[in-house]
Amino acid sequence: MSEPVLRARGIRKTYRSGDKRIEVLRGVDLALRPGENISIRGASGSGKTTLIHLLAGLDSCEEGDLLWEGRPVRPGKGGLARRRTTFLGMVFQAFYLVPELNALENVLLPARIAGVNIREATERARGLLDRVGLEERVTHLPTQLSGGEMQRVAIARALMNHPRVILADEPTGNLDEVTGGVMMDLLLSVCAEAGTALVLVTHNRPHAERMERRLELHLGLLNDTAFAPPAGPPSGGETETGEPDQSG
Amino acid sequence: MPWYFYIALKQLFPTGRRFHFFTAISTAGVMLGVALLIIVQSVMNGFGHEIRSRIVDTNAHIRVEGGSILRDWEAVRAEIASDPAVKIASPYAHGVVMAQKDNIPAFPLIRSIELEPELEAIPVERYLRSGHMDLLDDDSVFLSSGLAFTLGARPGSVIEVYSPLMLERLKREELLLPRELEVVGIFESGWQQVDDNTMLVTLRLMQDLYGLQNGVHGIAVRLHPGHDADTVARRLNDRLPMPYLARSWMDTNQDFLFILQLEKHVLFFLMLFIVVVAAFSITSSLLITVVRKTREIGLFGALGGRPREIAACFCFQGFLLGLAGTGLGVVLALTVLHFRNDIVSTFAQITQSEEALRRFYQFVDLPVYFEVRDFVVIVGSAVLISTFAGLIPAWRASRLKPTEAFRSE
Ligand SMILES: Nc1ncnc2c1ncn2[C@@H]1O[C@H](COP(=O)(O)OP(=O)(O)OP(=O)(O)O)[C@@H](O)[C@H]1O
Ligand SMILES: [Mg+2]
Repeated sequence: MSEPVLRARGIRKTYRSGDKRIEVLRGVDLALRPGENISIRGASGSGKTTLIHLLAGLDSCEEGDLLWEGRPVRPGKGGLARRRTTFLGMVFQAFYLVPELNALENVLLPARIAGVNIREATERARGLLDRVGLEERVTHLPTQLSGGEMQRVAIARALMNHPRVILADEPTGNLDEVTGGVMMDLLLSVCAEAGTALVLVTHNRPHAERMERRLELHLGLLNDTAFAPPAGPPSGGETETGEPDQSG
Repeated sequence: MPWYFYIALKQLFPTGRRFHFFTAISTAGVMLGVALLIIVQSVMNGFGHEIRSRIVDTNAHIRVEGGSILRDWEAVRAEIASDPAVKIASPYAHGVVMAQKDNIPAFPLIRSIELEPELEAIPVERYLRSGHMDLLDDDSVFLSSGLAFTLGARPGSVIEVYSPLMLERLKREELLLPRELEVVGIFESGWQQVDDNTMLVTLRLMQDLYGLQNGVHGIAVRLHPGHDADTVARRLNDRLPMPYLARSWMDTNQDFLFILQLEKHVLFFLMLFIVVVAAFSITSSLLITVVRKTREIGLFGALGGRPREIAACFCFQGFLLGLAGTGLGVVLALTVLHFRNDIVSTFAQITQSEEALRRFYQFVDLPVYFEVRDFVVIVGSAVLISTFAGLIPAWRASRLKPTEAFRSE
């Protein structure tokens, strides 16, 4: 089997707020093969977003290590930002489009940050917008787009720099059932075409089921759910993680 | 273009939308500050220039005196005139007399002038309000406007003049007859010290009144344009024999010129605070942007932007706002200064103060003088201050962690 494109070993993450310690992750292991797509499910507050941020190198953990294409990732170190531009694409629940930029400019933004030739990148961005079905919306501003259309732009943006991995944190969370399903089709097909690995965080069981590998974050550990009981709520998910502390 | 400059421009000038209201307001603040600074400094310069040229016109560039009466002044004048910077070197005698007309007394300063304008360092002709240079002879006099007013004299009037020499004669109980002089001209230099109380006569009459025989009190020097009076005065002092001392108009009016300069600097410093206050509004408008765009700033981080690039994005916005405000301020100032006379006369008409302006400031046309140095200093400091104004928001933005940014609602 080929070397994992992203590998996490023994990740522990504890939040401190006042005297309270919230152990969110207690030794998460994950190996993502190139082009593989996986889903991560878990109760609200189980630490899915925390894990995604750690995998993206946006946050640091107390223990464990993270490798991108076999090379260690150290958050806060110089050079990581540039590695991120070409390694990673991210899709968020709330889209996070830049409101001052139109669809095309939003898709181009990662290319600008990576500092590549803008003329060539513009061609690619137009192609990507075509691919996600927004050829008619190229010059529209985010405020002129529907939720589903905004998420299409965000998906095109995530693909802009030919990333090896796309991390998607509840990308269908703000969309209705039908649009969400369409978006899943789109994400899966564009990732398959580009050979990009996909990590999908979702509450939505049908969406999760469509992935090659389904994982569940429970009690701070990531479990393979291939053998988990097919029905019924995951037991005790809400109790163990404690009261979600408000941190502003 | 680096992405952070691109984003800065886009945040200020969003695609397909108009300039943001906040940014417009803070730019307007800088604009007003800069415009005010330029207007005030240019008018101050204008007044300064006016005053300096009045001083030069009434005092000459350099005066050479020798403690008392100069007897061998012809040689000294030749020596002075041989300096290439010297345009005119003219002898003069000056002092105080008592003048009387119809029992109204006055104690004016009296100074002699050369009758040929090309030989006189002081351009009397330029300031003659009535009369003519040709009319002046050894039995006539030019009065300053203030003195004429005091005495109730006009061209054609005859005034009586008593000199200090006559007092000497009076002590010896000689019969005392005043010198009767006909007023043949009224002058007004715009320099109040002179205009209040001065009379001009021929050198021969002055030598007569003061008993100088052939002597004079000093040599007044006018320079060719472009020469520094201090430098030439120093050069003359090196060449002239001992009792003679050449002093430039800057030297003799040192205190006054210093105050003029000080006034300008203090005004600049105080007015600069208007720009500082305007810069605070840039700071707050950018801070609002940072708060409003927390999640986008997080996104830039997640897309691979470095903290210092994010900081540069906001610093650059401060710089751009400052630049725009300063540019508009310069345009506004130049426009106002261009129409200054219309503005002043409208103002004078509304407040009915035209007469007061003329009397107190001796102008109705506002003098203006542009100094490149002022422009550079004003534009430079306004842009610099505005860029600094962007530092606090920039620092805030660069410290924002993407994880925290994404969790903020
Ligand atoms: N900065 C923080 N300080 C303290 N506690 C935090 C902080 N961020 C997150 N937490 C806590 O960590 C736990 C995991 O949060 P996280 O956002 O990762 O959950 P999640 O699985 O993504 O939930 P959801 O499905 O609702 O998005 C929660 O209990 C949350 O309150
Ligand atoms: Mg979450």
